[in-house]
Amino acid sequence: MPAQETLMVTKRLREFASDSWTMSRYLDTDGYAAARRAVMEMTPDETIELVKTSGLRGRGGAGFPTGVKWSFVPKDVFPKYIVINHDEGEPGTFKDRELAEMDPHQLIEGITIAAWANQANKAFIYCRGEFALGSRRMDAAIGEAYAKGFLGEGIFGSDFDLDIILHRGAGAYICGEESALLDSLEGYRGQPRLRPPFPAVKGLYGQPTVVNNTETLSALPHIVANGADWFKKWGTEKSPGTKVMSVSGHVNRPANYEVALGMSLADILELAGGMRDGRPVKAVIPGGASAPLLTDTNIAMDFEALKEAGTMLGSGAIVFMDASTCMVRNALVTAEFFEHESCGKCTPCREGTWWKVRILERLEHGEGRQEDMDLLLDICDGMDGRSFCPLGDASAWAVRSNVKLFTDEFQAHVDEGRCPFDDDHEVLVGARAGEVGLGQAGVMPQPGAGIWTDADPASEATATLQDLATDKEGPTRD
Amino acid sequence: MTIKQKRRPDHAPAPRVLSPELRKEAEAIAAKYPNARSALLPLLFLVQSVEGYVTDDGMREVAEILDLTPAQILASGSFYTMLKKKPQGDYLVSVCRNISCTHMGARKVVRALEEHLGIEAGETTEDGRFSLEAAECLATCDGAPSMQVNYEDFYKVSPDEAVEIVEKLARGEVVLSVRGEPVKTSKEISHETATAGIRKPVMDMEDMPTMGGESFKLGDGPGTRPKVMGKEQDD
Repeated sequence: MPAQETLMVTKRLREFASDSWTMSRYLDTDGYAAARRAVMEMTPDETIELVKTSGLRGRGGAGFPTGVKWSFVPKDVFPKYIVINHDEGEPGTFKDRELAEMDPHQLIEGITIAAWANQANKAFIYCRGEFALGSRRMDAAIGEAYAKGFLGEGIFGSDFDLDIILHRGAGAYICGEESALLDSLEGYRGQPRLRPPFPAVKGLYGQPTVVNNTETLSALPHIVANGADWFKKWGTEKSPGTKVMSVSGHVNRPANYEVALGMSLADILELAGGMRDGRPVKAVIPGGASAPLLTDTNIAMDFEALKEAGTMLGSGAIVFMDASTCMVRNALVTAEFFEHESCGKCTPCREGTWWKVRILERLEHGEGRQEDMDLLLDICDGMDGRSFCPLGDASAWAVRSNVKLFTDEFQAHVDEGRCPFDDDHEVLVGARAGEVGLGQAGVMPQPGAGIWTDADPASEATATLQDLATDKEGPTRD
Repeated sequence: MTIKQKRRPDHAPAPRVLSPELRKEAEAIAAKYPNARSALLPLLFLVQSVEGYVTDDGMREVAEILDLTPAQILASGSFYTMLKKKPQGDYLVSVCRNISCTHMGARKVVRALEEHLGIEAGETTEDGRFSLEAAECLATCDGAPSMQVNYEDFYKVSPDEAVEIVEKLARGEVVLSVRGEPVKTSKEISHETATAGIRKPVMDMEDMPTMGGESFKLGDGPGTRPKVMGKEQDD
């Protein structure tokens, strides 16, 4: 039997692609019935218990059981807040964007259920700054929900009040980390907080706060409407339900595919139309840029199986790569991303991400040294488990798996003194040096330390390396 | 970035950046939150919607509105890449440079745009029409290589298509994103970002601006509740 999707949170947006985001369409498809039922017929504790029983796990990356997270919230401290992490930025992930753009009411209904369960009267949607359309659609949907009396004072005619406040980020990946998100929402630099206390106890404005991902919340109406047992029909025992997998890279039909957890990676590849030109898979990122690579597609896509394989499901972002991919470049692009997004708070991550880029740059430009691979692994060891938040760890995992799985390819870069892939290969100078922002999260290039344009211009070596970095043709190309 | 310490005679107040209408909006934005400091980012977007970027005077005015120091505004605002420190083009072209897009040829797109505009990524054209940047993952990997112009999406752009989009904008034509949304100017989109989520009348119903784009307007629907936001009701 060919691989099949299991549509739950993406069902409406697939069936009614032309107006799935409108209130009228949402109401036509049993919209807000679940939230109304929770608020009118269930106690908050029953709601928490239901979500706990369903086994729903956070869909943002960490996979923490949602109901358990809720049960950490103290019952007797008010006000409490719900914060929606819609700061999707993990490279390869584009599911929350689609869910909010195409089905914002489903998210609002999920927020309502979460707010009722935790007795929070205010919810904040932290919407990634770059999501213009998603913000517009959510803004409109929230307005429609207020107009219908589904939000505001006494929702659904009950005595429960709920306000949803739409907040826009301003471009910082680290704000997807929940404690950094809270700092950002409070008007500070988005840097992670020391835990404990966890946000559930002391979060936004020092109050108990539940931070949930867009996809997690979007699943709630379905669980309340159909029950925990229904939800557990799909997926595995420990990873129940469905998951939206964002599939991209060298496949024929890159898109979001919602599948039962535990489906094999090979089947997901089949859903995505297979590899372009039927080429074999060289490497796969199974869960966003942070997840270590796989080379075999014969693996079940659920939290446990991937953990066992030494990687992770993460946000469900799958990037397939074929033989045309230079893994040094892949590592470099990933490393540049983490360098750019490191918030600069802790030394291992701030310095480690910076040095990894320098070393990978020289490897990619044929200036690599024999000891560079070991040096990279050494830096990764210095970061993994020693960084303040998972960003540092993730950057170590990503680069380490590239080096370990494709040592031969790194070696070839050293031996040949050039990149063996003669595609287009110069460094994008503007990517980091020319950052247009008010500032970039993290550190500025250190004078004299590398090939960057801020390096000491008097240094002859620097000048040569700068030429290397800016030369359009690149001396290493044929 | 440094705040230029231009001494003003007798500590004269910094020149106002926000018009009286925008000041009202600023107060409405601040009133969305239990703690006004949360409005720091939206208010800097509001400054950007007037000045084209975040100016020193703008930061001083935001400090005044939020009862913070300019240094606090700079310290927080400088963290975020969408808040610009230099004058920006009317159109900010962001080409994703992350994994999927790079593997699908994003660098060729950037190079074509660099060549066409005569600038490098990270720069703005001399006439102030276009800024180009190589951006981190835009969450449009299914459309790799993907591009945004003032945060409206374009999918699977070839180098030629990217140049064509820029040419159309240069000619003043309306350009629609892959989702059918018209591309706005930098200042317009900054204003929309700043004012996202204000829907309830805080001051005068009549004076309140409409929301950006196609979104909810005041008075839409019979059930709109004229509830005053911002008073901390949870206490």
